Amino acid sequence: MDLYFINKPNLDRLVKSLSKTYKIFAPVKSDNKRFYRKTGEDGLGDSVIGEIRAVEPIKSFYFPARTKIAEYFSKDNSSEKEKPIAIIGAKSCDLVSFKVMDYVYAREPFRDPFYVSKRETGLIISSDCTCYGDTCFCVAIDIMPYPAEGFDINLSELDSGYVVETGSSKGEKIIKEYFKLFQSAEPYIEKRGSYRKKLKEDLLEHVKKSKIPPKDSIQPAFKGKFDSGLWEEVAKTCVECGACNMICPACHCFILMDQKKEKGFERLRMWDSCLLMSFARVAGGANPRKLLAQRLRNRFDKKFNFFPDTIGKFGCTGCGRCTEACPGKIDIREVLSKLQTS
Amino acid sequence: MENPYLPIKTEVLDVIEESPTIKTFRLRPEVPLHFKAGQFVEMSIPGKGEAPFTPSSSPYEDDKLEITIMKAGKITSMIHNLKKGDIVGLRGPYGKEYPLSEFEGKEILLVGGGVGLAPLRALFLALAHDIEKYKSVLFCCGSRTPSDIIYKDCVLDKWQSLDKKRIKFRITVDRKDDSWKGNVGLVTTTLDKLDVDLKSSVTIVCGPPIMMKFATFKLLEVGYKPEQIYLSMEKNMSCGIGKCGHCRLGNFYACKDGPVFRYDKISHIHEIWD
Repeated sequence: MDLYFINKPNLDRLVKSLSKTYKIFAPVKSDNKRFYRKTGEDGLGDSVIGEIRAVEPIKSFYFPARTKIAEYFSKDNSSEKEKPIAIIGAKSCDLVSFKVMDYVYAREPFRDPFYVSKRETGLIISSDCTCYGDTCFCVAIDIMPYPAEGFDINLSELDSGYVVETGSSKGEKIIKEYFKLFQSAEPYIEKRGSYRKKLKEDLLEHVKKSKIPPKDSIQPAFKGKFDSGLWEEVAKTCVECGACNMICPACHCFILMDQKKEKGFERLRMWDSCLLMSFARVAGGANPRKLLAQRLRNRFDKKFNFFPDTIGKFGCTGCGRCTEACPGKIDIREVLSKLQTS
Repeated sequence: MENPYLPIKTEVLDVIEESPTIKTFRLRPEVPLHFKAGQFVEMSIPGKGEAPFTPSSSPYEDDKLEITIMKAGKITSMIHNLKKGDIVGLRGPYGKEYPLSEFEGKEILLVGGGVGLAPLRALFLALAHDIEKYKSVLFCCGSRTPSDIIYKDCVLDKWQSLDKKRIKFRITVDRKDDSWKGNVGLVTTTLDKLDVDLKSSVTIVCGPPIMMKFATFKLLEVGYKPEQIYLSMEKNMSCGIGKCGHCRLGNFYACKDGPVFRYDKISHIHEIWD
């Protein structure tokens, strides 16, 4: 798509103006990590839109942990008119998660109206990573540390501003509307290219030691290890907390829960975890995944076997959030590497 | 955009006791659901929860819907406390129906165990409705004891005289009682000495997973090919529309790609009998 350049003061002006129509979230730094905070009225403030991904996956905005999806038996679908959400600083790994979420929630039949409406009205301003985190391994599964698609506007930080790339007609409209804030990208394109190349090379070097198998061999390797003792070994430190499911940008399972309200009844949609014992248990008591090792294996099955067969991509963004979140110190890179050993 | 999570207000018209643990609920949703045999609905106790069930009434009867439910867990226990006039919720129909057009001209073998007769009843009534389209129907039913036979008046009496040439029954119980004069033995015993032209037959199996497993193995022994065997796979379900992830079975979702599956399509999946 098209390339422009915006300097930092102008980006602040853009954000300030967008905050009139959007509820803007951007990462701020805290304890050496990044967390999304509502911002925008004073421009970007102390938001960090470079560095690496925030702790929260952006699924939190499009598919919140707890959503009221029906008040029955009323047919009235209208939710209170909320400002649409704009995210500034989403990273390449976050954008990859849309491939999974759009497949699960937005395809026919029965599109999820709550997700679809957020996707249609939301604005995504992503940004290049400028460094990598310890648990990052996106390049090992062919995901680059800079967004290639899935954004409305992408920002690549360099010098006194950002190279701006549009990725959708929504993004192009914004450039048109605020054309006074943008300049030609010409002097900066080569530098953006070389920054991206350097980060990719550094990251490739970093993931080498994890010995993750080549991308195309992961699914067959998983199938080969299906009946092995690997899963019991990995599950030894699993405490069945479900943190990996919660923090993963590509985990999307949920459960419907009903409750009584003062006037009528309400149905909620809430995040669920396939690692919990009763996830697949039926009322009669039968459970296809009675053992924790089976449930842990199932998560890998879904990400590295089911999704390649269904959408031609892994259900994994290579972000390493699960490794950071796991109290049992289970490292997805180690598990992938063990798929290859005999 | 339509909200697929919103249940339809439904009135309980009648509650029929089929056996000590099984009841049939006759329901009238505010808006007819137009299900096909093999599809399921999500039934909710307002404010408490939802669970998936396969209607067992004839798909040709639009004004009512009958669901036969065994008391097994939290929601089914609440369902068993329902009385005439109570209000429940229904969503659906969901899932893939039995492919009736593929059964035309064939000899159809239905194999049902216990409450598995419920989905098969909808199928049987749909077949009987257009019986000239099919060569024959043999309905093999197994139950634990005579008192566990559901739809007793239909299975033991009314249906026997529907079409004596085309429709036949083989009924058995695992354990008899003093009044039982019929066959005794597992439902797999009804599959011995089948008078069927295998080349033009299909078989549909429904019941508890362990019954479906052994019935399938027996059918393969008898000479049926995996492409001729249709199963109803039951899994834990929440949304019923292929999104929540609970009912995943290999590369399929039981709610969206099933619950009716042809055996050859799923025989490679490791957990189908669990």
